[in-house]
Amino acid sequence: MQAIAAQVKEAAKKLLEDKKVDLVVGFAEGSLPLRGTPFFARTPEEANQLTWNRGCENNLANFLRKREGKVAVVAKGCDVRSIVALTKENQIDRDNLYIIGVPCDGMVDRKKVGKLLGGKEVLEVVDQGDTIVLKGNGFAETAKLADLLHNSCIDCRYGNPVVYDELIGTLMPEKAEEDFAEIKAFEAKTTAERRAFMTEEFSKCIRCYACRNACPMCYCTECFVDCSQPEWIGKSAANVQDNILFQAVRVFHSAGRCADCGACERACPMGINLRLLTRKLVKDVKVLFNAEAGVSMDDKAAMATFAADDPEPFLVKE
Amino acid sequence: MIVSKKDIPNLLDKMIAEYEVIAPVKKDNFTVFKPVASGTDAVVGEGNTKLPAKELFFPQSEKLFSYSVTEEGTKLEAPMDDKKKVLFGVRPCDARSLKLLDNVFDNDKFQDPYYLTRRENTVMVGIGCNSPASTCFCTSVNSGPFDTSGLDLLLVDTGDAYVVELITEKGKALADQAGLTAASDADKTAAAAAKEAAVVTCQVNTDGLKAKLDVNFYDPIWERIHEKCLGCGACTYLCPTCHCFDIVDDAVDCTGCRVRNWDSCAFPLFTLHGSGHNPRTSNKERYRNRIMHKFKYFVDNFNEIGCVGCGRCIKNCPVNMDIRVVLENIRGSEARLDS
Amino acid sequence: MMKNPYLPLPMKLVKNFTETEDKLIHTFTLQFLSEEDEKSFPYMPGQFAELCVFGKGEAPFGIASSPTEPGFLKFSVAKVGTVSTALHMMEEGSIVGVRGPLGNYYPVDQFKGKNVVIIGGGFAFTTLRSLATYMMHPDRRGDFGKITVIYGARNPGLLLYKDELAAWEASPDIDLITTVDREAEGWNGRVGFIPAVTGEVAPSAENAHAIICGPPVMIKFTMPVLEKLGFTPETTIMSLENRMKCGIGMCGRCNVGGKYVCKDGPIFTRAQLNELPNEY
Ligand SMILES: Cc1cc2nc3c(=O)[nH]c(=O)nc-3n(C[C@H](O)[C@H](O)[C@H](O)COP(=O)(O)OP(=O)(O)OC[C@H]3O[C@@H](n4cnc5c(N)ncnc54)[C@H](O)[C@@H]3O)c2cc1C
Ligand code: SF4
Ligand code: SF4
Ligand code: SF4
Ligand code: SF4
Ligand code: SF4
Ligand code: FES
Repeated sequence: MQAIAAQVKEAAKKLLEDKKVDLVVGFAEGSLPLRGTPFFARTPEEANQLTWNRGCENNLANFLRKREGKVAVVAKGCDVRSIVALTKENQIDRDNLYIIGVPCDGMVDRKKVGKLLGGKEVLEVVDQGDTIVLKGNGFAETAKLADLLHNSCIDCRYGNPVVYDELIGTLMPEKAEEDFAEIKAFEAKTTAERRAFMTEEFSKCIRCYACRNACPMCYCTECFVDCSQPEWIGKSAANVQDNILFQAVRVFHSAGRCADCGACERACPMGINLRLLTRKLVKDVKVLFNAEAGVSMDDKAAMATFAADDPEPFLVKE
Repeated sequence: MIVSKKDIPNLLDKMIAEYEVIAPVKKDNFTVFKPVASGTDAVVGEGNTKLPAKELFFPQSEKLFSYSVTEEGTKLEAPMDDKKKVLFGVRPCDARSLKLLDNVFDNDKFQDPYYLTRRENTVMVGIGCNSPASTCFCTSVNSGPFDTSGLDLLLVDTGDAYVVELITEKGKALADQAGLTAASDADKTAAAAAKEAAVVTCQVNTDGLKAKLDVNFYDPIWERIHEKCLGCGACTYLCPTCHCFDIVDDAVDCTGCRVRNWDSCAFPLFTLHGSGHNPRTSNKERYRNRIMHKFKYFVDNFNEIGCVGCGRCIKNCPVNMDIRVVLENIRGSEARLDS
Repeated sequence: MMKNPYLPLPMKLVKNFTETEDKLIHTFTLQFLSEEDEKSFPYMPGQFAELCVFGKGEAPFGIASSPTEPGFLKFSVAKVGTVSTALHMMEEGSIVGVRGPLGNYYPVDQFKGKNVVIIGGGFAFTTLRSLATYMMHPDRRGDFGKITVIYGARNPGLLLYKDELAAWEASPDIDLITTVDREAEGWNGRVGFIPAVTGEVAPSAENAHAIICGPPVMIKFTMPVLEKLGFTPETTIMSLENRMKCGIGMCGRCNVGGKYVCKDGPIFTRAQLNELPNEY
């Protein structure tokens, strides 16, 4: 990780020194353990603050839409998938974007860390590769990295950036096809069970819209939840049905566009299991259209392309 | 006075007979304030709750009144929550946040009856912080882990028991009613020692901050500070001193309710004029407003910083926008985040 | 029991009048349901109220009537959104909620013995009408010096209160100058933008106050003209229209710097605004 961090810095510095780009979007060391923070470097000196660690969890594609000038981004696999999807939507001009790709085998989920430590506060972290030492007031616990990764990272098959102008680190071996086990399990439940689960989960929602705002694909100038004429949806978080409706519509709007990056779930301060919903659509798009968002520059966007021979099974009543 | 830790459920049960008792309860990975049916439901002494105590006085969504407009006339009914309540196990920062909010909801011209009725009828039982979190900076904003402002009683953890300090008459009455016994000198010494031992490691230097904010509204630094901010409502909704709200109707034809919901200056619609003009066009202006409000406007208006240093915004921001770092950048001084 | 500032006073809509040719502005006349209600609503020119259409919501509007006109309140409302549209469609006889009076008012006490120059553009003439009507009341007219009103709109069809304007035109109590942006059929009055017309009319700043309300561009270009005429920041008065909800300094959205426009305004002198950031 440290070697990668150093190379990221160098690459960014060089781009800025050579005036190839005006801005490098990457991560700087965050203010909390296991936390990277999005950082915008505009000079070679500022590039010194760039880094790479297990806390670079945000999807930086979110900061790249409709940018002026030449921009470089330090992008892991999921960031690149979103970049590809956004390029197809004309939100990113690929010619003005320089991608510093970083193969990524996963970021650490601080919620899992919290659970493991039973609420004890981590003050320091030592990254030992396959294990991580979590230190706090009067304790030091060693945990397996694999047990702490975000679920989205565990499921992710595209840790290797699918497009890049420069690669830092080494490409990883391909992973096996994922099986969507948890989605299938959820689908197997009865309607009542699913409703009960959703109701419980979304009773926690405070309608802060961090999920929407963290998602690179949510960029409508006026989101349907904010619209007042007509008022599509109630504004109060006390109404769980509206909270679910908000998320359901959001998820449908990102069907075929969602790269399963997990940025929405990571952003949620209330720890709501949003990926269950986004993944359901990821699975459906895959099953129905054999498509995945942002895995190639050449694929057509699944839901934005008309084809006369579309299977359209949703139009057929069984 | 004193109460042993194992007697806390008992004590709460006694209170439950007379009051609605609100205490932290477990929810997934975190705790939230909830009315408890039994003393054993309460988890006293954990870190700060996910949502701040403000929600108990100024709920995220609240009915202001219901109405019906018919041939017979117009009927308005405003519910007032005047239940006698005890808020048990609140941290000093949250208690203090309510003192700050009192300035807003009881301002020089108007009173908010919903908030003030609840305030009046609630006894605040706080618990001091023996081990402040690394994100707590209460001592930097004129408070501290055993600050009693806003509290009626303060519990100090001495290991097996809590030494109970009587802060107000209201608190004393509750303590008497609950039949608490007197603390011995040894207990008092232990409490003093616990207070002594609690260190807030994180310091945010606010010297000269206000003077800077007085003059830096147009400073280019604001162009950079907000850059990574997503403009979501997480920090404002979870902040114990944020008080912004929207008022909407929830109605079918003319029978319905007027409701207020939390709102946030981070949202673009917050200030959008009917004409389409928006005085805060971008995230820059909106994030600046948040900082200005807490560290300048609040000070100008009420002579207090509008932040109690609870650290919720730090822990919950999806992009690690750390208010301590922001303030430090604004002051242009060196890091003192020696946590 | 403290007063609940969120509860509206039910009032009866007695007139829903289409004020402008484009039909986008209606003037509503609301009648108090009882004398007691009227007593509970003592107001001054420049104040505003939250009008509510039950089932739709509420929005702030300047009070266009004057306290010298007892029994009713008047509002002129442009159709822009939820509440204003609902109001426009309301039938006479319906009940409208009114919450107020809110905000401060024009400093009429300071105007005593002074000349007053009122400059209004577009439909922001509502509280200015209230002010002019208040000062022209026979019991009060003597308190003030010369009253000059410069009022402009894009075209003649968009001028508010045409009957009253005609009456003012004929009155020796007030010096009315109306103007429209461009030549129009049947218009014999002045043509020109407010800033230019203000320069031409050149009201004296001697012992005078200027009150100016209108769209931001108009204000922007009229300010230098007023300055040139000798109006100081202290004698130039404006009314702000930030987005509002509560109207009582709690919901937080209408702030300009540390001031809440709803509670500390909406009327400010230029001098006061110079101390604040330009977030309006
Ligand atoms: C002190 C004061 C005095 C005023 N006096 C008058 C007056 O005398 N006459 C007058 O006509 N006006 C006046 N106004 C302006 C008036 O309050 C606004 O026009 C008000 O917004 C109208 O409310 P509404 O419900 O009709 O519009 P809203 O529905 O609130 O919206 C108006 C516009 O804002 C935007 N908007 C608002 N909310 C949303 C949303 N959720 N999503 C998307 N867009 C949104 C839209 O562009 C919409 O067209 C005054 C304002 C103030 C503060
Ligand atoms: S919906 Fe969630 S997982 Fe999908 S692209 Fe958006 S942030 Fe990523
Ligand atoms: S981030 Fe979580 S709490 Fe916030 S709106 Fe989204 S689901 Fe709700
Ligand atoms: S600072 Fe963080 S929590 Fe606050 S609005 Fe910005 S992204 Fe959201
Ligand atoms: S600004 Fe942050 S630290 Fe301060 S009171 Fe609010 S949430 Fe707590
Ligand atoms: S203006 Fe912003 S920072 Fe201030 S109370 Fe409201 S939401 Fe919080
Ligand atoms: S309108 Fe709510 S504070 Fe001004």
